Amino acid sequence: MNDMTPEGREERRGKLKGLGHARRRVEDARFTQGKGNYIDDINLSGMLFGDFVRSPHAHARITSIDASAALELPGVVAVLTADDLRPLDLHWMPTLAGDKQMVLADGKVLFQGQEVAFVVARDRYVAADAVDLVEIEYEELPVITDPFESLQSDVVLREDLDPEAPGSHGPRRHHNHIFLWEEGDKAATEQAIESSEVVAEEMIYYHRTHPCPLETCGSVASMDKVNGKLTLWGTFQAPHVVRTVASILSGIEEHNIRVISPDIGGGFGNKVGVYPGYVCSIVASIVTGSPVKWVEDRMENLMSTAFARDYWMKGRISATKDGRITGLHCHVTADHGAFDACADPTKFPAGFFHICTGSYDIPVAYVAVDGAYTNKAPGGVAYRCSFRVTEAAYMIERMIEVLAIELGMDAAELRARNFIREDQFPYQSALGWEYDSGDYHTAWNKALEAVNYEGLRREQAERVEAFNRGETRKLLGIGLTHFTEIVGAGPMKNCDILGMGMFDSCEIRIHPTGSAIVRLGTISQGQGHATTFAQILASEIGISSDSITVEEGDTDTAPYGLGTYGSRSTPVAGAAAAMAGRKIRAKAQMIAAYLLEVHEDDLEWDVDRFAVKGAPERFKTMAEIAFASYNQAIPGVEPGLEAVSYYDPPNMTYPFGAYICVMEIDVDTGEHEIRQFYALDDCGTRINPMVIEGQVHGGLTEALAIAMGQEIAYDDLGNIKTATLMDFFMPTSWETPTYTTAFTETPSPHHPIGAKGVGESPNVGGVPAFSNAVHDAFRPFGLRHSHMPHDHWRIWKVAHELGLHG
Amino acid sequence: MKLTDEVFIAAPREDVYAALNDVEVLKDCIPGCEELVRHSDTELEAKVLLKVGPVKARFSGTVTLTPEEPPRRFTLTGSGSGGTAGFAKGGADVVLQEQDGGTCLTYEAHADIGGKLAQLGSRLVHGTAKKLSARFFKAFAERVTTSETALVPGRATSANGG
Repeated sequence: MNDMTPEGREERRGKLKGLGHARRRVEDARFTQGKGNYIDDINLSGMLFGDFVRSPHAHARITSIDASAALELPGVVAVLTADDLRPLDLHWMPTLAGDKQMVLADGKVLFQGQEVAFVVARDRYVAADAVDLVEIEYEELPVITDPFESLQSDVVLREDLDPEAPGSHGPRRHHNHIFLWEEGDKAATEQAIESSEVVAEEMIYYHRTHPCPLETCGSVASMDKVNGKLTLWGTFQAPHVVRTVASILSGIEEHNIRVISPDIGGGFGNKVGVYPGYVCSIVASIVTGSPVKWVEDRMENLMSTAFARDYWMKGRISATKDGRITGLHCHVTADHGAFDACADPTKFPAGFFHICTGSYDIPVAYVAVDGAYTNKAPGGVAYRCSFRVTEAAYMIERMIEVLAIELGMDAAELRARNFIREDQFPYQSALGWEYDSGDYHTAWNKALEAVNYEGLRREQAERVEAFNRGETRKLLGIGLTHFTEIVGAGPMKNCDILGMGMFDSCEIRIHPTGSAIVRLGTISQGQGHATTFAQILASEIGISSDSITVEEGDTDTAPYGLGTYGSRSTPVAGAAAAMAGRKIRAKAQMIAAYLLEVHEDDLEWDVDRFAVKGAPERFKTMAEIAFASYNQAIPGVEPGLEAVSYYDPPNMTYPFGAYICVMEIDVDTGEHEIRQFYALDDCGTRINPMVIEGQVHGGLTEALAIAMGQEIAYDDLGNIKTATLMDFFMPTSWETPTYTTAFTETPSPHHPIGAKGVGESPNVGGVPAFSNAVHDAFRPFGLRHSHMPHDHWRIWKVAHELGLHG
Repeated sequence: MKLTDEVFIAAPREDVYAALNDVEVLKDCIPGCEELVRHSDTELEAKVLLKVGPVKARFSGTVTLTPEEPPRRFTLTGSGSGGTAGFAKGGADVVLQEQDGGTCLTYEAHADIGGKLAQLGSRLVHGTAKKLSARFFKAFAERVTTSETALVPGRATSANGG
């Protein structure tokens, strides 16, 4: 068969399994057979185990620590406290947010579960037993778990900070205040709102929750005192940054530190930060000369390593009588816990919360975020979202619903009336972003049509009548959401973490026989990078994705990159991969021209080969070119076929989507049943439809969890009431509904292959869709807003307060 | 956490009051009590082995008795620590009234708990506290009366089964 024909070309293209191919995940063979290599699978000879003594109190002064009984226990090697770390200046460490955090409690504890002492023992069980033997006396202090109270209280939480001195994000107006961050035109926004015909105002709480990856956080540190090299394995979403931070903190030169992220069992933002466990395992290895493993248990994970959300968002939105939005004002009180350990790009203490104008053409807007310390665990990470984007999307999508109530208008119609039109892209938002591309009306109409929106509204009206006649006790809610994300941090001109620009990287080596190894600065935590990055390159360099090995996570071998979070892998590292691929192709073209004895300009790229223009039977495949690159002396061309690209994205990418959730609610039990969930995602160019579908299913299920029950709740004493999976809602297949996925494809104009990232969209859009469905069910009975999570008890209470229980 | 109950004990009020101040009686009746030492008329020190759901720990703590109007009314406050298992502090108002030849004891107790005990056992703490208190009064009633049927807990609310 002639493979120059269109059919032949398609067949060649199919063999590459490149862009758009529903390629099976290459990772799954080992994951589904239990052959993954996770942090707890790493066992080194002579390895010791660390475990923390944690504070039972949320706020207390430490009056004494007595480790003598613990040290007498056979098998215990050491017990580290802040006093042991102080000479190394490691009893405190910097956070990603410009604050500092105690590694081990220095004089006082500020949240329940805080690390007080680190026990090192010959086995994990002895370490746990020894933890019980460390005697610590506390003197209790008043506990503050409410950020509003905190900003008024005389109780000083952070005695280490000078109350008069500014923090790393400007002046602090109270000793428990962290920062005030503002964006937009305040005066113009207030004026626009005050002169508007209709104004809706609502306090919207996005509760504290937790990424809760199935694999908890952990590390293994091994200090080789002979050659002076430290190897650190860990559950790191950003291994290169960890290496740099470890070098700065420890004083060990960066070339003497090797950080390895092995397989990671889910991250969702929980594994971005640097935790006391990592630091203590390193110190313990240096002190003992043996490798030291630390792996947290589930309670420790939920209690102490980074939480997410906890934003009190006071929104005001205004419109004309016919539903044209005229302004948006939002003030957030952000509960950051005991230390400001949010993981955001340095200049953005509230992340990209100012994407909160969402999918709408809002002429003027203003946001202000006040950060507050409380006696709760530190964190504030982007749980399966770009920095604070879920909070922003939830706020605007709830405000739209509240405004629709105020206007007496259908919420779908209100959205459509205010969408940024296709011809407005690139769109400059009132809060300073440049949206790259979008076609919201097309996506929206497709979604409404797919679910027969008008039919659903008729059914809902009939249901309300039947309910009022006493014929049913179930209500029907139609939850609408049209979200716009901002992902792919980010351009170095404004995005950095600890001073490191948020570029990413890719290095390609083509082997002589035409297969390749590719290394990136990112790290997969289940996203399937080994599958999808190979596909990007297959299309770029004409080598089958099955012949491309993708490696990440070893700082000794991979090029420097900022890691995987905030849906940045495809927009940034994916772009680096494409650009590195193009470098390979450029060199290949020179080689092919030499081999075919034509000028480079006479060649054209054809799927997997360079062919002579007008004479396609004269060609050299990439495999042939690769071989030649290693065995033929080509004048003016270096041997070998390698390339590296460091990609600084010119802009973020702006994926969007239209989600509709149809939910039945039993007013007497508060139980819900999701009858239909339709998720349309536009993530630009689609690399692997099957991986996208998997990502959307996973993200929607996490969104379901967050909206319908998952929370980190504290009582007044600062006790965490949801520190186990008995209380912390993790959906199983039993609670998970069936999803219908769909797409439109609006490529990003600035990304080399037009891809935008998708892993987090379903969480960003899913939460408001589920929550709006609950609210919509009760809208006919007068509900404006009720706080998440919408567990059965809270839904029952809503029904009760609306008088639906007779 | 709040706990209130009413218990009928078929013994004279003076006997009940005296027994409630008798370290030996208390030690025998408090479930899991390993040590109870009286430091003064009002100060006691205790070591109690407690199990709430998955949390098992040895709590050591102090109890202060305040006789408000003996033998009719007294209060007690206390706090204890179970190390990594958590801590508890609280108090109770106890009233003894003469009734039908015996004594009607009512108490109102409140407690704050913290640490692992609160995290793991929160849904169990109330039930466990009720169970422990029932066991205490059953044992206590047996000590101060001769009849095994002397204890009638929840007498005032017997409609719900006591």
